[in-house]
Amino acid sequence: MSSSKSNKIVKLESSDNKTFEVEEAVAVQSETLKNMVDDGCANDTIPLPNVNGKILEMVLGWCKKHVDETVTGDELNKYEADFLDLDQADLYGLLMAANFLNVKGLLDRVLQRVADMIKGKKPEEIRRIFNIKNDFTPEEEEEIRLENAWAFD
Amino acid sequence: MLLYFLITCFSFILFIKPLKPLPPWANEMRLLSLWFWKDLSFFSIPELIKNSLSSSYLSLLPFKMSLIKKSLSSKVENFEETGEMSVLDLPELALECILERLPPAALCSTAGVCSSLRERCKSDHLWEKHMNQKWDRIIGPAAYREWQNYLALKTDSNYVKHGKQKGLMRLLALTWPFSWFKPKVDDTSRRRNSLPVDSIMSWYLALETGKVWFPAQVYNRENGHVGFMLSCYDAEVSYDSRTDTFQARYPPHGRRPIAIENGVPWERLRAPPVDTPPHDLHISDCLSELRPGDHIEIQWRRNKEFPYGWWYGIVGHMESCDGNENYCRCHDSDTVVLEFNQYTPGSQWRRATVDRKDHREEGNEADGFYGGIRKLKDEVEISTWKRLWPTEVLE
Repeated sequence: MSSSKSNKIVKLESSDNKTFEVEEAVAVQSETLKNMVDDGCANDTIPLPNVNGKILEMVLGWCKKHVDETVTGDELNKYEADFLDLDQADLYGLLMAANFLNVKGLLDRVLQRVADMIKGKKPEEIRRIFNIKNDFTPEEEEEIRLENAWAFD
Repeated sequence: MLLYFLITCFSFILFIKPLKPLPPWANEMRLLSLWFWKDLSFFSIPELIKNSLSSSYLSLLPFKMSLIKKSLSSKVENFEETGEMSVLDLPELALECILERLPPAALCSTAGVCSSLRERCKSDHLWEKHMNQKWDRIIGPAAYREWQNYLALKTDSNYVKHGKQKGLMRLLALTWPFSWFKPKVDDTSRRRNSLPVDSIMSWYLALETGKVWFPAQVYNRENGHVGFMLSCYDAEVSYDSRTDTFQARYPPHGRRPIAIENGVPWERLRAPPVDTPPHDLHISDCLSELRPGDHIEIQWRRNKEFPYGWWYGIVGHMESCDGNENYCRCHDSDTVVLEFNQYTPGSQWRRATVDRKDHREEGNEADGFYGGIRKLKDEVEISTWKRLWPTEVLE
């Protein structure tokens, strides 16, 4: 499969004014950026006020890896698994960025990661992991306990 | 100035979510929440403005009723103070996508985390998917009716308890539709996080925990009892999640006590394919089109007191016919021959004939009574019968 013929560079600027330059082939992994490129709006630096530098760098790293033809399937799997070993703040930032930039593979992976963090956990554990406040009354708690009894026997 | 600001905020909120109730966690977002405005209005906006805006408030009435206690006194600064994002702050679509990926146990667990997540996790469309994936094959209209009956009985007893209060609240809501009347939150808040009784989630949980018994049909009942091979009988079943099998209760057979069978696996169950109760005769509508080689099921019972079971058979050739396709005229004859090849040739059960034109129920005390016939068109049904074929020929 031939890579993009044009060696066009796409310039991006994060919310904290960091600039990144990537090849078009890397940038178009993002549907949002691809649309801009196709519409001819990608000639100047594209500002991305919703994404900070740290997250944008991660996203672009992901995109680069997925365009790189020298990477094997196994390597890619390992990369993806390690990639998502993040703290929650970064994970959400990544999710928002992947959502905004519409990088399907990344978005899918991050959503799955959050879902996996929830699987197999009891409500108290989920609250602890995600730092969510319990706002149920004792009666509601009892009802919930009964509801969940089947799942955790 | 303040009024203008508030009106724009208010109309902005209406604009972004015109038809859906504002999610309870919206108050944590940077937007000025409706409830913040409402709080202000209690103390600072003159009566005149309240009235003029009451018409726009009308559209919010449906979800006003589902307001939660927390929102009334929530501070908008909440979010600003912590500065940290939580999973509850994710865009709705993202949260939906995450919840969709959860298996039933995790979804149920998440419904117990906090009230805003509970709202989301109770959603019917999430549970519909799980219902279909797990229960689709053995839950049919009859089971659904049983569930509705069960709910009706449950709600009746609830109304008796809370009827008085509910009536009063309803009356008040009617007389003050635009009011700033704070509903007596005690009763609402106690029930706000309860599962709505008719939600799919509550049905799924009731099935999963074995709390409800529902009608289904069991193949080769009583662990392949020889007297019931290649039959399918109605039973009330209930699920045991520990063993992933069912307990089946068969209606009494004459003087025989109610039979109970444990450990019935999924493969031996099905939803009743026709809506005919087990004691009722099924009216056959396929007689005219039956040809040799067709797969059928026929109702059969030992005597008129027993319930029918459905028995598998194949339409055979008349005795006079040699089975040659080109010359076979069996489909024109007035008699339909049914073969039950699981029995030895010569056995009284091997062959039966029914009248093509007038068949309702035929038989006697010795041979039992043959009732309604249904033609099997679905390959899955046919292969299920074949799969259950006894290893030894029956007498």
